[in-house]
Amino acid sequence: MIEAQGLFKRYGDKTAVNGISFTVHPGKVTGFLGPNGAGKSTTMRMIVGLDTPSAGSVSVNGRRYAEHRAPLREVGALLEAKAFHTKRSAYNHLRAMAATHGIPNSRVHEVIEMTGLGPVAKKRVGGFSMGMGQRLGIAVAMLGDPQTVILDEPVNGLDPEGVQWIRHLARGLAAEGRTVFLSSHLMSEMAMTADHLIVIGRGRIIADAPVSEILAGRGQLRTRVRTDRPSDLLAALGGEGTTSTFLEPDLLEITGPDPRRIAEAALRRQVLVYELTPLQASLEEAYMELTASEVEYSSHDLPLGTQAEGVPEGSRS
Amino acid sequence: MSTSTSTPAAPARARRSDGPRLNFVRVLRSEWIKVTTVPSTVILLASTLVVMVGLAALFAWSLQTGQAQLDSGGPPPQMGPPGEPLPDFGDLARGAPSSGIIFGQLLIASLAVVLIASEWATGMIRSTMVAVPKRVPALLAKNVIAAGVSFLIGAAAALLSYVAAQPILAVEDLDFALTDDKIVASILNTGTYLALIAVISMGIGTLLRNTAGGVVTAVGLFFVLPVIVVNLISGLADWIPDAARFLPTNAGERLVAVAAEEGALTQLEGGLVMAAWALVLLVASLLVTRRRDV
Repeated sequence: MIEAQGLFKRYGDKTAVNGISFTVHPGKVTGFLGPNGAGKSTTMRMIVGLDTPSAGSVSVNGRRYAEHRAPLREVGALLEAKAFHTKRSAYNHLRAMAATHGIPNSRVHEVIEMTGLGPVAKKRVGGFSMGMGQRLGIAVAMLGDPQTVILDEPVNGLDPEGVQWIRHLARGLAAEGRTVFLSSHLMSEMAMTADHLIVIGRGRIIADAPVSEILAGRGQLRTRVRTDRPSDLLAALGGEGTTSTFLEPDLLEITGPDPRRIAEAALRRQVLVYELTPLQASLEEAYMELTASEVEYSSHDLPLGTQAEGVPEGSRS
Repeated sequence: MSTSTSTPAAPARARRSDGPRLNFVRVLRSEWIKVTTVPSTVILLASTLVVMVGLAALFAWSLQTGQAQLDSGGPPPQMGPPGEPLPDFGDLARGAPSSGIIFGQLLIASLAVVLIASEWATGMIRSTMVAVPKRVPALLAKNVIAAGVSFLIGAAAALLSYVAAQPILAVEDLDFALTDDKIVASILNTGTYLALIAVISMGIGTLLRNTAGGVVTAVGLFFVLPVIVVNLISGLADWIPDAARFLPTNAGERLVAVAAEEGALTQLEGGLVMAAWALVLLVASLLVTRRRDV
C-alpha cells in the first residue's frame, strides 16, 4: 500500500510534481501512466526517499520508507536502469545489497536464477546491455521478497521475451497480494498489464480509476458494420448523434448508437447486416483525450515559463 | 485474482516480523564487500603498501650512502634544507618506518575520494540509499571501512618499512630496535595518520560528489596549501606560519614524528588537530548527505 498526500516537488522554479494525492492498493497492478517529464520518476523517487518532497508526504505500508526497519523487505524498487558501480559484477552488487539486510546468499542466487542473469552474473555491470541492466535492477528489487514493488519503466530496453516476463512477474506478484506500482509512457503496455491506472500529466493526476472504467468512460461508442446497403442503414438510424465513416464501400464505422440500436434499425429497414463489431476505445485514445484536456487546462492555469516544459524524466542524475 | 490473494501473502508476512533487517554491522559488511569487489580499490591499496615500503627502503639507502660519505671523509651529503647544520643520521633513520607517508597519503586520499565519489559517478549511490534510506549509517560505515583499511595498510606499511630498512641501515650501523623509544608508536601512528587522511578525503569527496574535483581538492589541502603558506605567503603576517601548524598534514607530521620539535605541536596535539579536521568534514558530509536529493 502506497499513500501519497499532497505531494509536491519543485526543482528551482520548475514544478515536477504538483500536489498529487493517490493510493496504490495491494492485490493489483497499478499503472502509473504519463508522458516523459510528467513527474512519474520524481514521484517514485520520493516514495523511496531519494528525493525529499517540497511539500506533502508519502508512506509505504503505513510508514515513511526510511522509517521501516527492513526497507528492502517492504519495498523493492527498480528506479533507473543503471544504479550500479560499473566495475562491480552483478553477483557482487547483489551481495553488497543483500548484506545490508542480512539477506542470505541463497536468496542472491535465487534472484539471479529468477531474472535469468545466470550466464552474466560474474561479469562487470559496465558491459551490460540495457536489458541486462533492467534485469539486474529487478533482481535487486526482488532481493528482500518485498510486499510492495515499484518499477519505473521496467520494460525499457527489454526484448519481447523480457517484456512478456515482466508482465507475468507483475501480474504474479499482484496475485500473491502484493502492491505493484509500475510506470510507463506506453499505453499499450499498460493495457496488457495494469488493473488500475493513475494517469499523470504535467505533475498533476488526471485520472485515477480502473483500466476498464477509463476505457468505458472515454471515447464514444463505435461499431463496425458491414452491409450491402450502408446508406439505407444510416437513413434508418437517423442523423441525431450518429457519425459514420466508410472504411470500405460496404464497411462502416458508426459512432454514437450502440450495436443493439444499429441492429434494430437494420431489422426495421430490412437491411442485411453481416458484420456488427463493437469497438472498444483503445487506451491510447482514452489517454490522448485525457492528456489533451490537461494541457488545455494547464495553459490557463500556469504561467508561461513553467508550462512550456516540465522537468524531463531522468535529466537529473 | 482476489480469491487467490490471501493464502500466499500470509506466510510472507509471518516471515517478515523476524526476518532479516537493517543494522549497522550489516551495513558495514556491505561496505566491506563494496571495497573488495572493485578492482581499482584493491589495486590502490596494494600500490600504497608497495610504494610506502619502497620509499622507506630508498630513504634508508640514501641515509646509508650519506653516512658512508661522511665516514670516508668526503664532502657532507646534502640532507634537508641547505645551510642548516647536518642532522644526525641515526636520528633521521628513526623516521624510516613512516617515511613512505608522503606518498602513501596521496594514494589513500585518492582512494577515499574514489570510494564515495564513484558511487555518484556511476549511480550506485541510489542503490546504496534505497537499501539504507537513513543514509547516515551507510556513510558512517563507508568512513569506518576506509579509515580501518587505511589504518591497517599504514601500520602494516610502516612495520614492513621498518623491517626492510634495517638491513640497509645496518651496513653503516644506523639500525635500531623495534623496542626503541617511540618506534612502535610511530608505526601505529602512521596508520592513524592515513586513517585520518582517509576520513578527511572522504568528507571532501562526499561534499563535492566528483572524483576529479575531490582528488584535486584533497591534494590541494594536503600538499599545495602547506607549500604555499611556507614559501609564498608566510611573510605577509606573523600569524600565518603560526596558523600553518594547524593544517592537516602539518599537524599530522607531528603525530608520526619520533622526535619533538621546538615551537611545534606535540604528538598528541598534532593528532587532535588532525582528528578535528576529520571530525568537522565527517559531520559536514553527514549533514549535507542527509538532506540531499540523489
